Amino acid sequence: MEVVGTLLDKLEFDTPRIFVRGVLEDSETGPLRDFIEKHRREVMDSGQLIVDFQDSTGIDSVPAVVLYGFFKELRRAGVRVRIENSPASVESIFESLAKFDSRGMEERRRSSFREVVEAFGSSGYEFAMMIVSLTRFLFETIGAFVQLIMHPLKIRWQMVLYYMEESGYKAIPIVAVLNWLLGVVLGYQAGYQMRVFGAETFMPALLGYSITWEIGPMLAAVLVAGRSGSAYAAEIGTMQVREEVDALRVMGFDTFSYLVTPKMMALLMVMPFLVLLANLSGIFGGLLAGTLFLGLPAETFISELGKALIPLDIIWGMLKSIVYAVIIANVGSFMGMKVRGGASAVGQATTAAVVLSIFMVILADALLSLLFVHIRPGLSM
Amino acid sequence: MKVEGLQGGWGEQLVLDDVSFSVEKGEIVAIVGKSGCGKSTLMQHLLGLVKPWRGRVVFRETDIWSSPEAMQRARRRWGVTFQSGALLGNLTVIENVKLPLKEYTDLTEDEIATVAYSKLDTVGLADFADSSPLEVSGGMQKRAGLARAMALDPEVLFFDEPSAGLDPVTSAHLDDLIRSINRSLGTTVVIVTHELASIFAISDRVIMLDAEAHGIIARGTARELRDSSGDSRVRAFFRREAAEEGKDS
Repeated sequence: MEVVGTLLDKLEFDTPRIFVRGVLEDSETGPLRDFIEKHRREVMDSGQLIVDFQDSTGIDSVPAVVLYGFFKELRRAGVRVRIENSPASVESIFESLAKFDSRGMEERRRSSFREVVEAFGSSGYEFAMMIVSLTRFLFETIGAFVQLIMHPLKIRWQMVLYYMEESGYKAIPIVAVLNWLLGVVLGYQAGYQMRVFGAETFMPALLGYSITWEIGPMLAAVLVAGRSGSAYAAEIGTMQVREEVDALRVMGFDTFSYLVTPKMMALLMVMPFLVLLANLSGIFGGLLAGTLFLGLPAETFISELGKALIPLDIIWGMLKSIVYAVIIANVGSFMGMKVRGGASAVGQATTAAVVLSIFMVILADALLSLLFVHIRPGLSM
Repeated sequence: MKVEGLQGGWGEQLVLDDVSFSVEKGEIVAIVGKSGCGKSTLMQHLLGLVKPWRGRVVFRETDIWSSPEAMQRARRRWGVTFQSGALLGNLTVIENVKLPLKEYTDLTEDEIATVAYSKLDTVGLADFADSSPLEVSGGMQKRAGLARAMALDPEVLFFDEPSAGLDPVTSAHLDDLIRSINRSLGTTVVIVTHELASIFAISDRVIMLDAEAHGIIARGTARELRDSSGDSRVRAFFRREAAEEGKDS
């Protein structure tokens, strides 16, 4: 064998020997591996190995574990390995490595099929428990909300106004622009297809129904869930991490009326108007598509739309938005309140708030659509 | 490790001016001073987190700012424990300790597990390996942070206020642990603290900073500074801190 880093072997010995000199450092792990690879056969054939630490003052953990693995392999193959003249620090490192030698294998065993199945079961159970907690949270918020309505002087109007501005006023541009764009696309696509059958004059009715019944309220809700639901979760979650929520509790504040109801109240007030705006923007987009791309006169578009829509179509979308507001404010606040731990928990809560809000908004929309079929004149079978 | 004529600060504000000192291999150096004196700023300069306006931070005869490789080489040989332990909350304690081993070595999963557990054992936390950092106490978080810092057998261990937020008993245990690592492994230790008990318990040498002086106003052993410093600010620091500690106890 030959010199590798601080390793040295003298061929004149009968038994292969490794002399370790100085400190065998982390950076010498690569050469050590090459050294082992090169002389593995030779050592195996001789049936024994002596490792002499006489001139050594220490060894780093990384090369030590590599050397330790080599000793294990040799011993399994029946090779006698003797460590000589090792200083206390080297001995203690090898002892410690021997103590935790099988931990890697134990860890692998733990990640078995059974654990994967258990993880699925446990996730399902946690989800069910979360829905139960969310429902309880919703009732508590409604309780706090009713209390505030009965004592309006206790309403924190300043906070309500702040959230109205954040969640409503500042959402106007994005809600208007996206719905307008969607109206243009929908009007153009629908009108283009209908023109094949000479039925483009029905496009305003189709667009009006689509926008006012579904797309306007839904897109507004998705945007508010993405903007405000996530913001609520992040805000309350960060307060949890910084123990601000606990501070409010010990000061005697009702955390629901302080943290949750102002948000819900604000959303309840702004959501219907955002939906109205979404509807108007979408219809305006359709009007633009009709007049610019399909040659549909604006008067025709408006008169056809007027014949198709009734006030309930607009009002229904606004009423649905009240349900969405309750869902978004509660899910966002609930996820924030659930945060325990550090920064990553806040991120997870924010993501969960958006995903669950959108899921529940769509679920609520499906249920409300079934109801709408029965209450709107001209729809029930 | 050497600091030569270091000048630095935040924005336009000068915090450190013409700071020079060296840390010898195997010694424990405590950087002390009142709040706002620039201890943490100096630590950040030592760790290469902030570039000095002037002067050099030299490790193994190379200025750490001379090239990205020099900085990387130095950081491979350093271990840092932060005030809070700074463990990643989405990983378990053992996964935190495995992080540097996975990043910087080509060890197999089994070898990494063996080394990581042995490091946790050194700080007495092998039984808490699978716990989340959020489930263990502040003292344990710091010890786990220490195990992570020791994963690659650093030549120099840096501690930023290791006693902050700990009770005196836990703090004393941590001091013992630092001392024992220093003695058994010969690891050099640089520690930023204002805890007098820690300073006296573990430091070989003390460097004292002062905000008005923008730098070092005293250096020596803790006892020398306490008993025979000619500088009234040094005496005041030790007297005031000692009085406060006396009151607490």
